[in-house]
Amino acid sequence: MDFKPLGDSALLISFGEFIDEATNDRVHALLRAIEKANFEWLVEVVPAYSSLVVVYDSMLIDLEGVKRAIGELEFSAERFKGRLVEIPVVYGGEYGPDIGFVAEHNGLSIDDVIEIHSKPTYRVFFLGFLPGFAYLGGMDERIAAPRLEKPRLKVPAGSVGIAGKQTGIYPLESPGGWRLIGRTPLRLFNPGKEPPTLLRPGDRVKFVPIDESEFRELYGAEWGEEDD
Amino acid sequence: MIELLNVPSLLTVQDSGRRGYRKLGVPVSGFMDDYSARIANYLVGNPGDAPLLEFLLAGPTIRFNASCVFAVAGDVEVKLNGAPIEPWMSHWAKRGDVLEVGTLESGLYGYIAFAGGIKCEPLLGNCSTYPRAGLGRPLKAGDNLNLGYVVLTGKDGRYLPPELRPDYSSKEKTVCVVLGPNIDHFTEEGIETFLSESYTVTSESDRMGYRLDGKAIEHSERGADIVTEPLLPGTVQVPASGKPIVMMRDAQTTGGYAKIAVVAAADLPIVAQSRPGERLRFRAISVDEARELLIRREKTLMATKDFLDGKMRAYRIMAGGEELIAFTKVERRG
Repeated sequence: MDFKPLGDSALLISFGEFIDEATNDRVHALLRAIEKANFEWLVEVVPAYSSLVVVYDSMLIDLEGVKRAIGELEFSAERFKGRLVEIPVVYGGEYGPDIGFVAEHNGLSIDDVIEIHSKPTYRVFFLGFLPGFAYLGGMDERIAAPRLEKPRLKVPAGSVGIAGKQTGIYPLESPGGWRLIGRTPLRLFNPGKEPPTLLRPGDRVKFVPIDESEFRELYGAEWGEEDD
Repeated sequence: MIELLNVPSLLTVQDSGRRGYRKLGVPVSGFMDDYSARIANYLVGNPGDAPLLEFLLAGPTIRFNASCVFAVAGDVEVKLNGAPIEPWMSHWAKRGDVLEVGTLESGLYGYIAFAGGIKCEPLLGNCSTYPRAGLGRPLKAGDNLNLGYVVLTGKDGRYLPPELRPDYSSKEKTVCVVLGPNIDHFTEEGIETFLSESYTVTSESDRMGYRLDGKAIEHSERGADIVTEPLLPGTVQVPASGKPIVMMRDAQTTGGYAKIAVVAAADLPIVAQSRPGERLRFRAISVDEARELLIRREKTLMATKDFLDGKMRAYRIMAGGEELIAFTKVERRG
């Protein structure tokens, strides 16, 4: 465990520079231990792949105090069992305009891409970039594809994309350069809900192929309006 | 209730920001200049974190549809029913009165506080606007805002003298930073460049981050990219171009560029109030010194609040050749 100050109100704790599940398990185990300790000076904890940041109220404690309190915590790096979240996805067509490119780029059929993408269970390493955006691990490299040369100005919320060896879901409508292969009717970020995000750090994700009529039905239930 | 008649620039409701949602990717948001914003609130007798209006450069025109007490914080011309009134002072407005807030003479963000605060439905526990995620939206002409109910008596006529106001008029401001945490991604020369050169705020700057231009900062052989780590407002990232970016209140919660430093929390408003074309210089201090700055700033803010509440008097004194403001308690007699 490596401690480095991140300004005067936060501590960066790093377990090295790794993107693997075992390291990320330690991140989440320490995060839970810190939250559970319920320190009065604790503002919040933010995890990433192999590091976490502890934000503290520097009116109540100094850096040395934070280091000492965290150094004394006991935590076991047991496998973090998050929830299994099934994400229905309609692949291809207008919902996934780049699925043909991904197939061709890898010498596969569109059905192969769908099968390969929906087979694994992905791990949510952490959320960042946009509210509710999950950094997922575990994509099969056989469907890897480069980003668009010119990003789209508007990617609809729920779009499922591939960028290099990563896959992800746009939680909000935003510009974006990922290759879009499908779209989920589920709302990944809903500011009116508590918690506001469908996915949480440590969860596991399984993509489930659905057809367009299922998409429309679920979309209406989730967003309370017709997609147009 | 107040009605916005004219909104010439970005105008949002902000408060002290969201806590506890960063791990879900939700930025902190809130006041860009929390020093000015808190004083605006203290001027009208609110707690420092009450929701108020934040404007970028040019202020709105507002019609009051009910009596209220308000104050404007910023280096700006203010008119009530066409007659000039003082900024940094709380005033009564009656039903039908019209407040015009002009363009800031210096600084970039100004604040308008109302006694009782702006009433809003908190989203994720808070009223700060972050339009990108549907957490509120920028305000426009024709919008009506409700104010909280409070006793107004005694909240007008509070005045903050110029000596106690933050001064953002300098075109080259010095900002204290704590170096790190990815300092090993920079050469010694790169760090020296960062601390000795001045950097110009570019027009590609907003509530998310300020892009700076100046001499490129040299990365070490470790390069500009890191395995994505969490970051905070105030973090200075340096991408491969070598031009630093200071992350601000709406910054994303994680980032993949090496972080050369973090602006001391007490000095972040100085960055926020720097206009495109103005310059910043960075001075490295220790974590403890940065914390000391924050504690001192908090004491000054509390003393300012007591001064505005009539519980303290302020004096100008000379100490060690430096002009300082000293506060003393007002003694209550019999």
